[in-house]
Amino acid sequence: MEYTILLQELKNKFEDKILSVDESADIFTLTVSSEAIKPIISYLKEQQSFIYLTDLCGIHYPEQEKELGVIYHLHNLVANKRIRLKTFVSKAHPQIDSIVSLFSGANWMERETFDFYGVDFVGHPNLIRILNVEYMDYHPMRKEYPLEDATRLDKDDRFFGR
Amino acid sequence: MKTINSEHHLDLTQEDEKHYSTLNLGPTHPATHGIFQNVLMMNGETIVGAEQTIGYIHRAFEKIAERRPYYQITTLTDRLNYCSSPINNIGWHLAVEKLLGVETSKRVDYMRIIVMELARIADHLVCNSVIGVDSGALTGFVYVFQEREKIYEIYEELCGARLTTNLGRVGGFDRDFSPAAIQKIKALMKRLPKVLHEFENLLMRNRIFMDRTINVGGISAERALNYSFSGPNLRAAGVDYDVRVQEPYSSYNDFDFVVPVGQNGDTYDRFCVRETEMWESIKLINNALDNLPEGKFYTDVPAFNLPPKQDVYSKMEPLISHFKMVMGEIDVPKKEIYSAVEGGNGELGFYVVSDGGRTPYRLHFRRPGFIYYQAFPEMITGSSLSDAILTMSSMNVIAGELDA
Repeated sequence: MEYTILLQELKNKFEDKILSVDESADIFTLTVSSEAIKPIISYLKEQQSFIYLTDLCGIHYPEQEKELGVIYHLHNLVANKRIRLKTFVSKAHPQIDSIVSLFSGANWMERETFDFYGVDFVGHPNLIRILNVEYMDYHPMRKEYPLEDATRLDKDDRFFGR
Repeated sequence: MKTINSEHHLDLTQEDEKHYSTLNLGPTHPATHGIFQNVLMMNGETIVGAEQTIGYIHRAFEKIAERRPYYQITTLTDRLNYCSSPINNIGWHLAVEKLLGVETSKRVDYMRIIVMELARIADHLVCNSVIGVDSGALTGFVYVFQEREKIYEIYEELCGARLTTNLGRVGGFDRDFSPAAIQKIKALMKRLPKVLHEFENLLMRNRIFMDRTINVGGISAERALNYSFSGPNLRAAGVDYDVRVQEPYSSYNDFDFVVPVGQNGDTYDRFCVRETEMWESIKLINNALDNLPEGKFYTDVPAFNLPPKQDVYSKMEPLISHFKMVMGEIDVPKKEIYSAVEGGNGELGFYVVSDGGRTPYRLHFRRPGFIYYQAFPEMITGSSLSDAILTMSSMNVIAGELDA
């Protein structure tokens, strides 16, 4: 596997910060501890030429202890390798270091993640809502907000194969 | 004066504010070509700072998608970059196929390339002709829109719709290219080079156009990469990143085509890169049409092959299975994928997390427009208002893609 060397180097450098590795996924996936996310991304960018931040988005697993996740997709354009990093934080302490100082493009992506999931990116220059109205007082992509009004009586889910 | 938009965070002292004036460009300004707002801080004619407000047409697609079965999400992708919706549709179908582990046949791939390149031409025609309009040359715009109309007629022939196409199905298409469609594509491919030549004659070496666009709104390759630019905007800055080449999908690697790159990343380079890409698209379509293999227009994915429409209307079983598919009674494997296509504006990515149910657990659209538009203030600071307008139109910011 072409990622073995990279994984070994990451493990040497960040030891216990790498929580799990998934090589069976379509993209090499690492789950890392949230306080190490910035050093790891910085290392990948400076030393391993993952110079392109493809995507950054949030996810919510209500049944987990650390409910909120942030998923980073990085791309090494020269070797054409992608890597996916995941990190999880609890809803009570949703702090993650911002990577805007590494990638300017992360600015709006982090704002979007904050807007929809309420992840607090520490060190972000302007962490305010981006797509929703500013007076909204919740983070709508979290799973506790169902899409349709649960109190509606005129719709019976059984008739829709649900 | 400062509190026009509570979101803008320009650090201005009282002293600065005496000299500067705030200018609201948008949300419904004709030059923004969509609903988003720019608050510009002007020192006379010069822009000293800018702040954008977006989200005016936010439709919560990602939230809606968590409740919708896979076929019903295609119609959401239409409305991202509505200038080239077939690319979004097919990009989404490719993502679902990746999730299901489906291999499509060559005929399907080539048909898809034809449709996607037609959409790319339509997208670039709009963008480039609008650069002309914003710099004061309306003629080219009216001229090429006739050809865009022809492309929309081809869409109509393929799927019945024009703007929000909902084109194609998981595994291929809902019907084969009709003889009329092939004839229309061939006629267009004959006409388009002439029209493009004439359009380029109007603008490409036009002194006024060159003076208005060269060294306007430039960005270096390094900054563009740092901002995660993709598509023509990144290539204009000199980075040859194209998803079609880097990670070929839909058999793009069967074809020989050039990825044009610019040098300065300015408005003129973006214009030229898009022009050249249209020529490459014409080449690709002609090649794909000439080499179109025989075979079926769909791949066997029993759970996702919709029955023929005439059977749905006349027979019981097809009607039931059609209903079940569209309402989504099919469970999709538990998997997590990222699938990207080269959209009109750059890398259009679909990050899908499936928990094994009938709807995605999480779907994230990587929208190129959303990502590169944040560089706009950096690109226009220090230039004049009229240059900012040109920079914006040459970046091809589409409100639907911006807001999702």
